[in-house]
Formats: sequence, C-alpha cells, structure tokens
Amino acid sequence: MDAAAKRPLLLRLVEDYWGVFLLLVAWQLWVIANSFNPIVMPTPTAVLGDLVTHPDVYLRNVGITLAVAAFGLVAGMLVGTGLAVAAWFSPVAAGLLNPLTVLFSSVPVVALIPVIARLLGYDTSTVLAIVVIITFFPSFVFASSGLRSPPPGAEDLFRVLGASRLSVLWRLALPAAMPNLAIAFKLAAAHAILAAMVAEFLMGTSGLGYLFAKTKSDFQTEQAFGASAVATVISATAFLLAGWVERRVRERYA
Amino acid sequence: MRAGTRNFLLGTLGIGLFLASWETIGQLKLAGISWPPLSAVLEMMADDNRWPLFRRALGATLEETALGYVWGTGAGLGLAALAHLLPPLRRGSDRLAAVLNSVPSIALGPIFLVLLSRESTPAAVSSIHVFFIVFVSVSSGLQRATAAHRDLFAVLGADRLKRFWRLELPAAMPALVSGLRLAWPAALIGAIIGEWFGAPRGLGILIINAMQNFQIVLLWCAVLLAVGSSLLIYGLLTLLERAAYARFG
Amino acid sequence: MTAAISIDRVSKRFPLAGSSEGVLALSDLSLGIGTGEFVAVLGPSGCGKSTLLRLVAALEQPTGGTVSVAGEPPGQVSANHALGVAFQDHALLPWLTVHDNIALPFKIAGRRADEAAITRLIDLVGLSRFTTARPRQLSGGMRQRASIARALVLEPEVLLLDEPFGALDAVTRRQMNVELQRIWSARQITTMLITHSVDEALFLADRVVVMSGRPGRILCEVAVPFARPRDPLVMRSQDFHRMVDDLTAALETQEGST
Repeated sequence: MDAAAKRPLLLRLVEDYWGVFLLLVAWQLWVIANSFNPIVMPTPTAVLGDLVTHPDVYLRNVGITLAVAAFGLVAGMLVGTGLAVAAWFSPVAAGLLNPLTVLFSSVPVVALIPVIARLLGYDTSTVLAIVVIITFFPSFVFASSGLRSPPPGAEDLFRVLGASRLSVLWRLALPAAMPNLAIAFKLAAAHAILAAMVAEFLMGTSGLGYLFAKTKSDFQTEQAFGASAVATVISATAFLLAGWVERRVRERYA
Repeated sequence: MRAGTRNFLLGTLGIGLFLASWETIGQLKLAGISWPPLSAVLEMMADDNRWPLFRRALGATLEETALGYVWGTGAGLGLAALAHLLPPLRRGSDRLAAVLNSVPSIALGPIFLVLLSRESTPAAVSSIHVFFIVFVSVSSGLQRATAAHRDLFAVLGADRLKRFWRLELPAAMPALVSGLRLAWPAALIGAIIGEWFGAPRGLGILIINAMQNFQIVLLWCAVLLAVGSSLLIYGLLTLLERAAYARFG
Repeated sequence: MTAAISIDRVSKRFPLAGSSEGVLALSDLSLGIGTGEFVAVLGPSGCGKSTLLRLVAALEQPTGGTVSVAGEPPGQVSANHALGVAFQDHALLPWLTVHDNIALPFKIAGRRADEAAITRLIDLVGLSRFTTARPRQLSGGMRQRASIARALVLEPEVLLLDEPFGALDAVTRRQMNVELQRIWSARQITTMLITHSVDEALFLADRVVVMSGRPGRILCEVAVPFARPRDPLVMRSQDFHRMVDDLTAALETQEGST
C-alpha cells in the first residue's frame, strides 16, 4: 500500500482522536512532573504494560461483565418494550404505569444496589437485576412514544382495512417503534456495562468492577486502571456499534 | 370521565397500590427483614433525632451536584462553542466527549482524588456526566438556527462572533436547558459515587454506612431521601425548561 | 360486485374545548350513491366533506341519522375487508416495498396474497419498474398511485377517495386524473371522491354534489353528461368550461359564509 492511500486513514484517526490523545499525553506528563508513586497514580504507559502482560486476568473478568451486561440489556429491553405494549393495549395499564415509571426513573440506581443486594444476594444476580433496571426505563419510555408514532394516516388505513388490534400492533405500531427502540438501545448499551461495573464494585463478586475494587485495595493501581481502561474501551465501542445499528434501523423503518 | 382526570386518578391509584404493597410486604415479612414496611421507614424519616443527620447528608450531596452542574455546564458549553466555531475540531470533540462519558465513574473517583481533593471529588465526577449531556445538547442546539437566519445575519454584515452571540447561542438556549434537566439523574448518581472515595458526608456515605452496618431501615430512608429530592429537583428543572422554551423557543 | 351508499339525514357534531355545543360539522345531510356510480363531492375548505367520507368509512360515528352501505352499517364493510380508501396523505408504510405495501390488505384480511392481482394492479398504475422500491424513493405522484393500487387490490365494494391528489402539482394532478379515470373504467366500483377541484370532479364523476360551508349541507347536484370512457379532450370543450363556471359560481356564493 503506497503512502498516498495510507494517509487518509492516519489523517482520519488524528482528526477523530486528537482530544483523547492529548488527554493521554497530558496524563503521562502530569504523572512524571509530580513524580507520583505508581500506587497513587500510574502513567498510561504503565497501565498499557499491565494490560499486555496479564491478558488472562482481564479477559476472564471482561467476559463476565460483558455477559451480564449483554444479558441484562436484552432482558431489560424486552421487559420495557413488553410493558409499553401492555400500556398500548390497555389505557388503564398506561394510566397506572406511567407515573410509576416516572417515579422509579428518578431513583438513583446506585442507591438501589445495596437494597437489591440484600434481597437477591451479594452476587451476579444483583448485578443482572441492576442492569435490567437501568435498561428497562429508557426502553419503556422510548417504546411507548414509538408505538404511538405511526406514519400519518396509517392508523386510519388499518381501521379501514378492518385490521384486528393484534394486526395493528404487529404490522404497524411495532415497526413504527423500531427507530425509537434503536435510540433506547444506543443509550442503554453504554450504560449497561458501566452500571454492571458499579454493581460489581460494591458487591465484590466477579467481573471488571470487582477487579477494580480488589486491585485498588491491594495497591495494584496499574491493574485497577487497566480494568477501567478496558471498561472505557468496551463502553465506547458499544456506543459506536449501537449507533451503527441505529442508523441501519432508521434506514429500514423510517 | 375526561381522559385527563382519568389518567390522574389511575396514576394516583398506581402509586397508591405500590405504596400499599410496600407496606404489606414489609408487615408480613414476605421478603425477609430486608424489606421493611413503609410505615417504619417513614417513622425513621420523621424522627427528630435523625433529621439533622439526613439534612446534612442531603445538603452535602445537593451542594456537590450544584457545583458539578456549574463546572459541567461551563465545560460542555465551552467545548461545544469551540467545536462550533472551529469546525475542524468537531469530530475530535465528539469523540473526546464520548470517551470521557465512557469512563466508569468508579474509575474517575481515584483520579479526581489525586487531581483535586477528597471534598471536590463528588462534584468533579458529577460534572463529567453533566458535561457530556450539556455538550451533546448544546452542540445540536447551536445548529438550530436555520439557513434563512444565517443569510439574514450575513446580509446585515455581522461577523462570525456577532452571529454566534446574537443568533446561534440564543437559539441553543432551549436545548441547553433541556440538557440540564436530562443531566440531573446522572449528575446525582455521579455525586453519590464520588462520595464513596473519601468524602466526609453525603447521601452516598449514608448509603454505604447503612449497608455495611446492616441498618436496613436507615438504608431505605436514604433511598427515599434520594428519590424525594430527585423528584423535586427534576420538577423544578422541568419548569425551568418550559420557561426557556417560552422565552427562546 | 359493488354496493350502494345511503346517507340518511346525517348530522355530526364535534366537541370543542370551552364550548358546550361544540362544532356542527354536518347538518341533516342526505345523499345516495347508486351501485357502480362515481360521485364527486365538491365544497370549500372546512365544509365537512372529509367528515362525510370518514362517516362512510366508519372512522367516525354520526351524531344523528344513519349511514349504510349495501344495507349494512359501514363498520361491517371494513370488517369484511371490502372497503378501499385512498387518503390525502398516502399512508404508505415506509418500511415496506411498493409490492408489500400493496399486498398489505391481504395480510390484514388473513388471506394469501394474490400475486397475479398485485402484479396486475402495479402494471395498471404504471409502477412496474418500482415494485421493490421504498416509498421514500418515489415521487409524490407515484406514492399516490401506489396508494390507489392498494385501495383496489381486494376488489372492494366501495372506493372512497379523500382528496388523493391534493398534495400534487397541477400538471401531475391532471395526469393522475386521466390515470384514475382509466383505472376506474376497468371495474366501475361505487366511488365517492372528495375534492375541491372543479375540473377533477367534472372529469371523473357521473354526478357532482356541491356542499355548503359549515355546517355542511348539500347545496345542489349536477349530473355530468359526458360519455364514458372520458377522453381528456373533453376538458377543452365548451360544455365542460360552462359547467366549470357554473359550479365555481355555486362554490363562490358561499365565500364568507363559513
């Protein structure tokens, strides 16, 4: 590959990531300038070094956090969409559910972690419950509004065609809600991983959050930051991927 | 019965059912000792001996979020304005903001602990969340001014700065205030998490202590406090948003 | 097999916030449409003609009087999947292709899609090259053609058209009128067309009904004498122009009465 063809990629990377790059450089210089003990604050290069030399530790824990986050994300979206559909079918259900969800959405999720841990146990089931809770609310809200935004005139069309309620749901309301669901998915994807990590941090069972807590208290600060770096990368990637999914869905359904 | 009245009644019924089941589950110990009856929680909340503790904790956390809002809004506005005025910086700023938002809050704790101080950490963590949401909202809000408006300003001979100050920034105000409202839950969570890294007092400390000392009712009190203040502030921010749309929309 | 529409002394009142009597959209209106007849309803904006169509389509219920289609309540016709309607907003589903949009009535009626019928209709409306296209890739006129094909695909007993060409420019509109005439001639379904274009009404219909402003009543009815099938050239004839003038005058006498 000749230099001319290569340059656009490099240019693109610089254009996109100069901010991140600057931040990393500033971090490195800051540590060096203050002569920080690695236990207090390691350099980015030291963190990278740990990532490279102990991949198994990271992979093991990433797998767990990712699995729980993914599972919880899907479950949360299903529950949220399911309740939105119930509210769509029944105005009574809608009237009951809407204020309740507003109420619940204003509970800071982190405050619920100890409560749920006491109820479900200090293990992965609590982490899963937290992810479900955090993905359920945006799904419910976005699905509810999406179900109620069919293309103009389409509702009349379906009535004129003598469609059953189920038919309207399956052929009109749900497809019309897809773009909104994609937005909820994008928001929830990034949050799912971070929420799982906070729950693991408090619970102390397994996964990236646990790794962070344990290595921090063991003064293995490089590894603690390594866990954070991995979480950051995964979360950012999930956000980007979900954005790609959203664009695809928008093309098909809007 | 009109739809509005009916929905109001249903909503109240829904919340009422929830509170009633809370009380029942607690009284009958259906979920063990970890789920106290609502009456026990309310009793502790009303307890005069406890109230100074709650007030101090709530006050501290709200102070931290307020500070977080100031820093986060400033940074978010600043970066959005910069990226808007200097288009080549656009993509990089978007990525930077997205990456910062992807850093787990628990990782921000130790960083700010070293960078700032124990007391400032909660506000700093909170500010990152506010920063991202304000940045995204203002970035899109700054593009709200239509081509017709921009043409007008060009014809009137306004330079880039004047156009920004008199057209684009006012046009972005509703989006900014919407962002402030949307950022609230994340800001509160950020402050609570930040407190876990050595803050002297706050809701987060209250929660952790209650958890570690197995004080169930106190734990639920803390959650209730968080919910109550959260709803109140969210309501205020919603009113502010309506006012902004009325003035600038 | 097409049916007759009977609108008998129908009124429709809509509630209005802040007013106890609300808005009277239609008042004591009677209209009959014979089997296989094409009737155009002309009237100024806001005279209630769309409301009239919605009553026949069972999208609204009359506050007084009755509407029946072939002796049955209109709701029955749509439940039997025998109603074809083309709205002003084409209401094509953006996530379906042209073919799937036209096939939609079959799916909803729970029947197997009659591919031959679908293909025939797509050819009839001139969209053969766009079978797999999405609505967003079509022009306004093409979308309306797809909408009309969809309205015809179940071989309905009744066809209702609510200003289907209202959103199109004058030239396209004229072309669409010629197309619709050609399509309709193939089956001669009982049709009610709502329009505010006098040309369109005269060119397409057997009978033109003029409605007054709110509350909607029938002012006059005119039988259209031109032979079928209608040649576009008829729009240039003296008789045609005279009738346009007469009808326009009838419409104009109501300006300011709404």
